Amino acid sequence: MKVRFQLKRGDFTLDVAFELADRGITAVFGRSGCGKTSLLRCMAGLEPEASGQLDVAGEVWQAGHQCLPTHRRSLGYVFQEASLFAHLTVERNLRYGWRRVAPSHRRVEWQTTIELLGLAPLLNRYPDQLSGGQRQRVALGRALLTSPDLLLMDEPLASLDSDSKAEILPYLEQLHRTLAVPVVYVSHSQDEVLRLADQLVLMEDGQVLTQGPVARVLTRLDMPLAHQQGAQALLEGVVTRQDEADHLTEVMCDGQSVWVSQLNQACGTRVRLSVAARDVTISRVPATDSSVLNCLAVQIEALEADSQPGHVLIALRLGTQVLLSRITERSRRQLALQPGERMYALIKGVAVH
Amino acid sequence: MVIAGIAEADWIALFLTLRLALISTVLLLVLCVPLAWWLAFTPSRAKVLIEALVALPLVLPPTVIGFYLLILLGPRGAIGGALESIGLTHLAFSFTGLVIGSMVYSLPFVVQPLQNAFQSLGTRPLEAAATLRAGPIDRFMTVVLPLTRRGFLTAFVLSFAHTLGEFGVLLMIGGSIPGQTQVASIAIYNHVEALDYGAAHGLSLVLLVLAFSLLLAVYALNRRFRLVGVAQ
Amino acid sequence: MWIRQAVLAGLAVTALLMATAVQAQQITRVAAASQLRFVLEAIATQYRERYPQNTIDIQYGSSGRFYAQITHGAPFDVYLSADMDYPAALVEAGFAASEAMPYAIGRIAIWSNTVDAQSLVLADLADERFRRVAIANPRLAPYGARAEEALISAGLWDALQPRLVYGDNVSGTLQLVQSGAAEVGIVALAQVLNPVIAAQGGYALIDVDVHRPLEQGLVVTRRAAQNEVARHFADYLRGVEAATLFQTYGYDLPAVIP
Repeated sequence: MKVRFQLKRGDFTLDVAFELADRGITAVFGRSGCGKTSLLRCMAGLEPEASGQLDVAGEVWQAGHQCLPTHRRSLGYVFQEASLFAHLTVERNLRYGWRRVAPSHRRVEWQTTIELLGLAPLLNRYPDQLSGGQRQRVALGRALLTSPDLLLMDEPLASLDSDSKAEILPYLEQLHRTLAVPVVYVSHSQDEVLRLADQLVLMEDGQVLTQGPVARVLTRLDMPLAHQQGAQALLEGVVTRQDEADHLTEVMCDGQSVWVSQLNQACGTRVRLSVAARDVTISRVPATDSSVLNCLAVQIEALEADSQPGHVLIALRLGTQVLLSRITERSRRQLALQPGERMYALIKGVAVH
Repeated sequence: MVIAGIAEADWIALFLTLRLALISTVLLLVLCVPLAWWLAFTPSRAKVLIEALVALPLVLPPTVIGFYLLILLGPRGAIGGALESIGLTHLAFSFTGLVIGSMVYSLPFVVQPLQNAFQSLGTRPLEAAATLRAGPIDRFMTVVLPLTRRGFLTAFVLSFAHTLGEFGVLLMIGGSIPGQTQVASIAIYNHVEALDYGAAHGLSLVLLVLAFSLLLAVYALNRRFRLVGVAQ
Repeated sequence: MWIRQAVLAGLAVTALLMATAVQAQQITRVAAASQLRFVLEAIATQYRERYPQNTIDIQYGSSGRFYAQITHGAPFDVYLSADMDYPAALVEAGFAASEAMPYAIGRIAIWSNTVDAQSLVLADLADERFRRVAIANPRLAPYGARAEEALISAGLWDALQPRLVYGDNVSGTLQLVQSGAAEVGIVALAQVLNPVIAAQGGYALIDVDVHRPLEQGLVVTRRAAQNEVARHFADYLRGVEAATLFQTYGYDLPAVIP
């Protein structure tokens, strides 16, 4: 579905248009102040000054300046701070939205949601008796229980410490697999995007720079993400073998095997691997006599000078997927690397999501 | 007739005072909600002007307020005169006039706590409620009212107590008519003027005890419910 | 939802209070200058005994406030001022149903509860031991204006300036002395004859020759044009029986009593 919004406030102008996938998580990514939150608020109808176009589930939410009031939109919104109602228990917070949706429109099960988010032990507590992570879980549950046609999340993890983040991320990933509605997830954390997003909308100064599948946008050399200090590429693969003795797991990515620290996943499970550009070395010959575990056959797709002086960024094609490698300009010159050349990528570290 | 050492006329004055305080406070609370809401959230430049106007009753001496209300509500005044010209009675020296007078006098005591409560509540809980399908009135009843309860309580107590003790405005606009506009504070003053200190002490004591019990009840009621902060 | 309950309870109580408003009855209302309180209560008691069918309610206050209120529709039927100017002004402005009629002449006296005032004369007020001398505000209160005149006649006005304190009216002036804020004051004779005040200290009457006479007048207001009781009471106030009481309570009588 098409999303288009304009909003002028002071000297900031939001002017965005992007395609929203019918299901899965679309991450809106950009540094703070780029207009991500404003965009989300426009989609929720919380910015009455905005104009644009938004149809959700066959209903017109925004047409020009005409704006369906927020409370008539079938949406769920998770704010950066949980924004629970301080005067209500967790249960009554959860019921607040639940009982305002006609029973015939409920598609989300009460019990299932409580279990999915592990909320049962919290039901009788008040928000001020919860940790940050617990609060955010309740906020997520409260939004889900309205059976929304569109779920909007505004940096739900940004205000949490890393323990709380680690607590809530699995719930979000589960959500990703179980929820059949589009999710817009605003974030400025590359980590969250790597773990959660299917689609990525990249924003800068109130505009959309680019959008597309997350693995593709991450590795586009003409986009700023690939040039970041911690630039990473995403590889999708399937678990194929467990080596119990060496505590390693084999993941097959486009026909080539990648060994990672042992995963507690059954064979056949799809997993996401992320590989930092600085952890990828390039060689003309396979590394047979090296400590590096993973050596993949790749083809140079493009080279570009990096933002750091003396460094070069290289996009390496691996079947349908792309890896990033950051090397020095001197190495590139010595190896005389050219686009189209077949090389070996030596991978020092792999993170599994 | 004398009941519990207090003359019947004094009981009537006392009852009138409580009636006045309650009615004007309830009316003020209802009327000031939209005003306080607007003041809390408007970006308009007129805000400071309205805020200053609302605070004026704090500045003016009560008898001055009473005098101008008398002019305004009397038979030749803008409001009283208009009422007379359509065959109604003007409002000076009536209970309605007293209600209007004490509402003007207590206005800042209601608007300011409400405005502060709304400001510290902020718009976020309302936005959260809107995303959970709650319409505007629903949001007000289920989110604003419970979360700004303390603001309402403060406004109620301040306005009520302020009216109980009010003298100058009520004397001027009411004329101290027994049973109609003679409130307890004026009755006490009259006793003092008449050197009848016994009656003055008795009535003062009853007024104090009544006011104290009522305020105690209100605060106790508030305490019984969960004490949650507004800011999270 | 306790809030809803509280709101409902509040509305119920409000409605109840509204419903039980005291029934107004046919009452003749008299607005009288504060210092008349004791004499008028005595006269009214006598009047009520003789004419029990006539209901009279008397409110005491400042003549100026009553004047303002009557011109703005206050429901007073008879107005007893502390001077002749306010009643005359009411007649002038068309708010009266009668002439401004004098009913008594006030007297002023020196009073103190810290020294024996009985032996004092005006000239003694120059004495430095009276650090503060209280009079009613000459601009607001007729008794103050007469006190000023008396002090001017005695040649004390300029010398006393730094030591003068002003009460809003005669009762306020008396309170200034009673509280000890001023050691001595010039107040109404009617006040210091009251047994409560007399028990606290003696007084010295100020001679009528040193100030203009303090004539006090009354009017029947316009709204009482058809009120027989109001006229009757006004006449009674200027009759022989009231005259005796006025004298007893410290007033002289106007030259002509009909």
